[in-house]
Amino acid sequence: MATQDQETIASRAARARVPDAATISMVDLLNLLRTGQATTRQELERAGPFSRSIVADRLALLTELGLVDESASGVANGGRAPRLTRFVAQRARLLVASISQGALGVGLVDLSGQLQTEHHEVIEPGLEPVDLADRVLGVIRRFHSRHSSGPELWGISIAVPGPVTLDDAPFAQRTPDVLPGWQEADLVGRLIDAFGVPVWVRSSIDAMTMGEWRAGLGQGAGGMLFVNVGGRVNAGLVIGGQLYRGASGAVGLIGQTGIAGGTGGGTLDSGAGAAAIRDAGLRAIEEGRSPALADLVARVSKLSVNDICQAAQMGDAGSVEIVSRAARLVGGTLATLTSMLDPQLIVLSGTIAQSNDIFLAVVREAVYGGSHPLVTRDLQIHRSQLSGSAALIGAGWIGTEELFRPAVARDWLPAGTPLAHPSFAAIRGARQDGAGRDPAQTTQGVKTA
Amino acid sequence: MTVLGLGPHGETAAPPERVSLLPQDIAQARERNFRVGIVVHTLQSDWATRLVRGMIGTLGECGALVIDVADCGFSAETQAHALDRLRRQEPDAIISLPVANADVAEAHRRVSEDGIHLTLIDNAPTGLTPGRHYGSLVSADNYGLGQMAAQLLSPHVGERARIGLIGYDTEFFPTDQREIAFSAWLDRHRPDVTVDIRRFSAFADVRRLTGELIDRAPELAGLFVIWDGPCHSALAELRHRNLRVPVTTIDLGKQVTEQLARDQNVVGIAAQRPFQQGEVVARATLTHLLGRSCPSWIVLPGIAVDRDSVVQAYQTIWREVVPRSILEGLSILKP
Repeated sequence: MATQDQETIASRAARARVPDAATISMVDLLNLLRTGQATTRQELERAGPFSRSIVADRLALLTELGLVDESASGVANGGRAPRLTRFVAQRARLLVASISQGALGVGLVDLSGQLQTEHHEVIEPGLEPVDLADRVLGVIRRFHSRHSSGPELWGISIAVPGPVTLDDAPFAQRTPDVLPGWQEADLVGRLIDAFGVPVWVRSSIDAMTMGEWRAGLGQGAGGMLFVNVGGRVNAGLVIGGQLYRGASGAVGLIGQTGIAGGTGGGTLDSGAGAAAIRDAGLRAIEEGRSPALADLVARVSKLSVNDICQAAQMGDAGSVEIVSRAARLVGGTLATLTSMLDPQLIVLSGTIAQSNDIFLAVVREAVYGGSHPLVTRDLQIHRSQLSGSAALIGAGWIGTEELFRPAVARDWLPAGTPLAHPSFAAIRGARQDGAGRDPAQTTQGVKTA
Repeated sequence: MTVLGLGPHGETAAPPERVSLLPQDIAQARERNFRVGIVVHTLQSDWATRLVRGMIGTLGECGALVIDVADCGFSAETQAHALDRLRRQEPDAIISLPVANADVAEAHRRVSEDGIHLTLIDNAPTGLTPGRHYGSLVSADNYGLGQMAAQLLSPHVGERARIGLIGYDTEFFPTDQREIAFSAWLDRHRPDVTVDIRRFSAFADVRRLTGELIDRAPELAGLFVIWDGPCHSALAELRHRNLRVPVTTIDLGKQVTEQLARDQNVVGIAAQRPFQQGEVVARATLTHLLGRSCPSWIVLPGIAVDRDSVVQAYQTIWREVVPRSILEGLSILKP
């Protein structure tokens, strides 16, 4: 089965001998359709330097590759109804995954980045990187097995809990060292071996920001600050209608900024992150300031951040104070960023921000009160409505945008599949020649890919 | 009881106790005479009838009028029609158990776009998000139920055995969760066991699929069926072939409960609490309608039921006396 698949891809790549200029125009036309900038042949002709014959020729090729469909008609506007030219988003799909502290999300998106289905699981805290990679692979494999019927798989896009440095390579070759031991755990390599498709890796905050901007409250926003308050406090940034990744890909580590507090300062992470909130909850129980939390711990012997946020929502005074303090710290930092960046929209995400109304109210008060009046005049501050889906949706958008980035698409489109991209073929070849391959997984991977 | 599953968008679960109505809330709701429509996947199962009773009773106590209870017969098309029909009645809220993901998304989206409050049960259609399209999703802990079913089956399955799993072929969050959780538990605790998976799209296929599993592996050492209705068909095939295979399933339906009591193949059931779930659904809907904050993902933990606990579990879940046939099966009553 594996050999047959590889032969088919190789022979299609060899057959596709389209001149460079033709490939470039084919990619450009496909991207006009994919992004909705054109929906008919006439619009394609008007959108770029494409003659009628070039459009007809490239569309014929794209139709043959299953990426364009012209079977439907549009609405007549006085004459004959125009034939619609549509990107076939269902031609293939991407697996998306989001690894965060304590949870793993996995989903499938079509080629337009639309999330088709998703699944989330708790993962035990403190797993060794190799065990975590095992868990991630197991969950992805079970999820993919449950959804194995359907279009073929063209790639895997993963969001990981740490910054991923900028890289021009079309596909990930190795696991970024976002946490100690990750590179050795070889998650990326094992995914390539298991599923036989390209992999992209980005930070969770990049993926969440992209998800919120493309499919959430940030749709159409030119400037958006996305803030995730979880184990750490991180931010993502959209500026000028583009996701901004900074000079090295590590934008938004605001949890490391210093805070001035009554208890001697520290960082935003240490004052408003999940561990700080949990510790404050335990202290409130010890000091008799939170009957609701004391009662809860007496019943279930443990205390989560979610418990504290829910107790705050239900009016427990000790919990309200804990959540309010965290919100004041986050709001203070955001006020400075708002004065600097002048965003249209701030979106708050994460359990602490989303499980109660108090956090949002206090952040609003701190930002509106602590920023320059000019930048807050039209500023909106909301809670994310995408919850844990934001990272999966964002990973889907990142994967599809990378896949159809002109510099990348030109090297695979004539063959009709990114599996024939020379860089990916080289990555696979290197893995098959080298060590670290898991033959048991490869058999299943080829079957599913 | 711990909830193991995360929500359809990765949300952390809120317990049902988080949604309570105080006397003043009930009084306020009575003054407003809310009108509520209900749309469920079926009314032909024990689970569904108890769920609906739980909802209607609580809504009634709070002065809300239930204007319709639509049975969709597991059909996405029927559900879309039912939702459109109910929308025209302009109720304050619609409570729906979506029978599919993508296929019913638009029909549910139209409900929220009309300004009608939407409460979901067990499943969120593709692309619908809490706060924007629906208020709360009230569910059983389906991930936990799937793990429970694996755990109940495991002691009856020998080493390196081959077992069967009969799942549901439709994209449906609860059954997907159960299936993934069942396999996940075995991967972690019984990696020696091999699982053959078959999925049905209609109940009528279940006997044939059970037969296929047995024909492929005559030594089949165990079987998990995704809920009690299709499990009944699988059990019929086992009886037809005169085979004794340990079986677990989900939902304490009367027929599979009787098989558990009589020690006929069924060795364990991971049970939901439909009546209580119905009450929580109604409370969540009213909480939203009264303009109060309510969690978006509310989950009721399941109950693991075996022969030793079946009588108490039956009383807890069904709120009625255990049928004589079950008590006889357990030798509590003489025939």
